[in-house]
Amino acid sequence: MVRYGMVIDLNRCIGCRSCAVICKIHNSLPPGTWWHRVETVGSREHHVSVGKFPDLSEVYLPVPCMHCDNPPCVKVCPVGATWKREDGVVLVDFERCIGCRYCMTACPYGVRQFNWEDKEKAIEKGFRTAGFDGEYVDGYRHGYPLDHRTKDGRLVYTPERPRGVVEKCTFCVQYIDQGLKPACVRGCPGNARIFGDLDDPNSEISKVLRDKAYIRLLEDVGTEPKVFYILPVRKKGRGIISYSTKLEVKR
Amino acid sequence: MKFRAAIAILLIIAAIGIAAWIYQLQEGLIVTNMRNPFSWGLYIATWAFFVGTAAGGLVVSSAIYIFGAKEFKPIAPVASTTAFIFAVGAMVMVLPDLGRVDRIFNIFLYPNFSSLMPWDLIVLSTYAFLSAIYTYVLLMPRIAEKGVLGFLKRGSPNVDELREKSERYAKILAPIALPFAILIHTVTAWVLATQLSRPWWYGGLLAPTFIAAAIATGPAVVILASLFVYGYNERLKNAYRLLAKISASSSAALLFMYYNDFLVRYWWGEGLEYEALAIVFKDYLHIHFLEIVFILLAAAILAKAATKMGLVVGSVFVNVGVYFHRFLLMPPAYNVFAFQIEGWSYPIALGEVRGSLLNPQPVFVDYWNYIPSPVEIAITAGISAILLLVLVALLKVLPVSEDT
Repeated sequence: MVRYGMVIDLNRCIGCRSCAVICKIHNSLPPGTWWHRVETVGSREHHVSVGKFPDLSEVYLPVPCMHCDNPPCVKVCPVGATWKREDGVVLVDFERCIGCRYCMTACPYGVRQFNWEDKEKAIEKGFRTAGFDGEYVDGYRHGYPLDHRTKDGRLVYTPERPRGVVEKCTFCVQYIDQGLKPACVRGCPGNARIFGDLDDPNSEISKVLRDKAYIRLLEDVGTEPKVFYILPVRKKGRGIISYSTKLEVKR
Repeated sequence: MKFRAAIAILLIIAAIGIAAWIYQLQEGLIVTNMRNPFSWGLYIATWAFFVGTAAGGLVVSSAIYIFGAKEFKPIAPVASTTAFIFAVGAMVMVLPDLGRVDRIFNIFLYPNFSSLMPWDLIVLSTYAFLSAIYTYVLLMPRIAEKGVLGFLKRGSPNVDELREKSERYAKILAPIALPFAILIHTVTAWVLATQLSRPWWYGGLLAPTFIAAAIATGPAVVILASLFVYGYNERLKNAYRLLAKISASSSAALLFMYYNDFLVRYWWGEGLEYEALAIVFKDYLHIHFLEIVFILLAAAILAKAATKMGLVVGSVFVNVGVYFHRFLLMPPAYNVFAFQIEGWSYPIALGEVRGSLLNPQPVFVDYWNYIPSPVEIAITAGISAILLLVLVALLKVLPVSEDT
């Protein structure tokens, strides 16, 4: 059985946010909606180190949906609109969601996003906010242009965003179902991501997870996330390297 | 005259509320001030409040048939009518919160019973149904005599036989309704209290405080409704006094449980539970002050209320105080969130682009200062006004009082 997971190597992450942007482009996210975030741990502004010179730290933490094996969002959904597929990907059925937002309350990672307004209106507002009168190419809409349904016919990706439903990172379901990797994995300039089958012992991801120390976010809440992080190796003074076991914030 | 003016004002508020709801349906929930990091607001707080005010029917009927408080018998139909109205009102209150209210039937087509939301729907609708039946059973003899709006009147009813029947059915129904009456508050609390990602809610104490809040506000609502129907008189003096005492002691229990929770959170001085409490005192001290002052004043007034004025003021105060209490369910829950790394909260995208080119505003925030938008307030007030209008209409139409 395939069980998809992702490894993000924080040693390789340069905090460029390409993953977040490529996700936004490929999944035709409306302005203001982000399925993927990258922030500097402990800092109010991205790319600003924390701590006191010379004892500084600047760790970037990219956060997609964790595709938990024990997802609280699936447990709380009153209508079963969000569910964990056989391959472990947590998806939202755009045609069944009633927009109660209970899942957003339940998700401990804050990855779920709601369509508060019409996508077209949001795009218009986005252009206006960015100082444009119209659009730069009239009528052009970014994103994978086709609807995507699972084998049992549930609509899990559509470029036309229905207003009033919840959406989130799908591990690019429209691509992985065609044997392609998610956009953030392909687009990462530092090659920090590995995507693959956790149940296949010969897959790249399984090999990496066997060899390296990793963490998962909020492991103590028992969500069993399938996004794994390889922690950055820190230099502690000249020539001394410390292998940390948890994400630290220097203040 | 005064009555007509009040009805006119309620009608205006209801009309504004309906207009606001239509506007919200056209524009989407963007017209509220809820955003991705703060995804439930005034609607859900009001839902929890209405579930509480629906408790009146239970308190009265169980007091009569389980604790033998015979003085409540004359006001029992009024009490169960309020229970019916507010249980329905609670369910209605969730509707404007839904992004796709047109798909509400999915909850019957594809219910997911590991979520507590369908369970809440089941207990609330059962309680509303039982309250309606209970009201009818209590009024059976009088309906046969006088009819409702000219209907249901029977030619020459055997009133004595009907009275006996009504008494017998009521005795059977009261203990059936009791578990549901407790369940509506507990299941509603569980919807929130089961969420480990929200340290302000998570834990076993939320359900008991919901019950305390319900038994504080429910009888207060029954007092107000009964004063409206029967006025203040010798015959009902003791019923009012007892209801006021129940409300006052439950208010005290609510405050006790609330501050007990505060102390437990405060003592450790660290962690998410503490931070959620700290937000109450840092950012919402005014609302906290209001909830405490209103509930304390209400408890003090209701404990000894022996005049009509005292009953009205105390009952209104306890509802106002508990409403503030309900509102305070939301901000600490959403602004102190599980996803923290050593005190640093990971920001969440709002779902909206704000500001302008020269004055950009952040899309990613770790704190959202939620103040209900005018549309949210109008819809909430409108639904409340409609509930009150229906309640008044039912109390006028049904033969709840013996002498009219």
